[in-house]
Amino acid sequence: MSTTEAAAPSDRVRGSQSGWSEFWLKEDWWAIWLGLGIVLAAAVLYVQGGSLKYLAVTPVKWTSAAQLGQHFAENWPRYLVQFLFWLTIFGAALTALGHRLRDFVASFAGLYALSVAVFVIGQWTEANYYNIEPPLVALALGLLISNTVGVPGRLETGFRVEFYVKTGIVLLGATLPVSLIVWAGPVAILQASIVSLATFVVIFGVARYLGLDRRLAAVLGAGGAVCGVSASIAIAGAVGAKKEHAPIAITIVILWAIVMIFVLPFVARALGLPAGIAGAWIGTSEFADAAGIAAAQTYAGFPGQVPGIEGTGEQAVQAFTLMKVIGRDVWIGIWAFVLAVIATTRWEPAEFGRKPQASEIWRRFPKFVLGFLAASLIVTLAARGDGMAEFNKSVVPVLVAPVKDLRSWAFIFCFLSIGLTTRFSGLASAGVRPFAAFTAGVAVNVVLGFVLSAYVFAGYWTGLGR
Amino acid sequence: MSAAQRCGACRHFRNDPAYLEAAIPGLSSLSSAAASVRADDGLCLRHDRYLGSDAVCAAFAAAHAGQSNGTAHHASR
Repeated sequence: MSTTEAAAPSDRVRGSQSGWSEFWLKEDWWAIWLGLGIVLAAAVLYVQGGSLKYLAVTPVKWTSAAQLGQHFAENWPRYLVQFLFWLTIFGAALTALGHRLRDFVASFAGLYALSVAVFVIGQWTEANYYNIEPPLVALALGLLISNTVGVPGRLETGFRVEFYVKTGIVLLGATLPVSLIVWAGPVAILQASIVSLATFVVIFGVARYLGLDRRLAAVLGAGGAVCGVSASIAIAGAVGAKKEHAPIAITIVILWAIVMIFVLPFVARALGLPAGIAGAWIGTSEFADAAGIAAAQTYAGFPGQVPGIEGTGEQAVQAFTLMKVIGRDVWIGIWAFVLAVIATTRWEPAEFGRKPQASEIWRRFPKFVLGFLAASLIVTLAARGDGMAEFNKSVVPVLVAPVKDLRSWAFIFCFLSIGLTTRFSGLASAGVRPFAAFTAGVAVNVVLGFVLSAYVFAGYWTGLGR
Repeated sequence: MSAAQRCGACRHFRNDPAYLEAAIPGLSSLSSAAASVRADDGLCLRHDRYLGSDAVCAAFAAAHAGQSNGTAHHASR
């Protein structure tokens, strides 16, 4: 018996999160409550002639310290209100999820201060000239802190990468009309399915060729093909993986995801890809939502700033989200169900007596996607009857823009948290064979994703949102 | 084997999110133990396996009354 079994009673079982309790015990639902709460508030205020502009303050574009000083002298009460707003809603959610509020307050105060600094750096008018992109600055700063001076364990309560990115994606739904999701969604599903299947088959096949356990091969394959760390942990549970399998896959996914945050945007930039195509490629070839958003948001800073990059920043983020969330993430339940059936009927039919049920598809469904779709529907309904000119004149600045600014904050919290929670020395040792198998999948994924995004479906991605 | 004897009600099973994030390096870096995709899977410390709370095996050992809050939920699934 493992020596780690002497855990505190409270560590043992957190009651079933598959019933009603899921609504307050899973961060996906909390991302929905918070994100949709903001979108609904924005929509109600818009209908009544108001706006969330006061709350959605962001640093201004600046060229001199004097400009910056004047901005903060005039707007510091807005930043204080915004800090208290985030502290309250995230604090309430994380307390419900079992975290200590006192620890969260201390860590979030630091996180917010760092986020303001990153936002200010990104708003410098010369930032783009020097390739200073806020997502990369946030990531690099976080990695530097966590891998040098380190972060006390209890302060990590505020560095909830997934929670922030899911909340941001729900808010992102408010910037996509339902018609756009309906138009581009099927293409995203088709493209993502082709790449996901090819990537999984390659990783699984190479892993088996190299003599790795079938369950480890499946955990690695899903991590590369579907949604990174989240897919690895979901498939590990579905196939009953050995304890060490998920940490091995997680280490490799994190390493490749961080490499791709830096590589994909700058290779796409060197190739002069239009924003929509670059976003679709990143959505196909990044391994985790948070890492992908960081890469897509980086590319979003190039159109209009870098000569030859066509499109808009929003196209990069929207194409990424459609591809990653609609094209890949929502299918994790089906992957888990199919692999659970294979594991229990072919790999080890007598062990652990599990009988996979189709309900597993819903149990593992990334519920925050529902919030993303609902946010899109809410804004579409709030703006119904407005023509395109009226939409751009009144709806965008009053309703959509404040939600978009709050989304930017959520993403910066996420980017910093990635770095602050990634300590390379704390990751499990992965081994050469798992790394080689996963890397073979990366090669296929990146090339196939590029061909489909830049050639086969290029027309869809360049025309996104037009 | 009855629903009450599934892993979710076993003393060897751990699926508290905080425990899992401490036990699985990197899980909180690009994901989370509180994510829907994890469902209520956990670690079996008897067999060193990561599996669903609805799995069963011959080594089942009921958790102490004050130790478990998962039995009733899992039994109702």
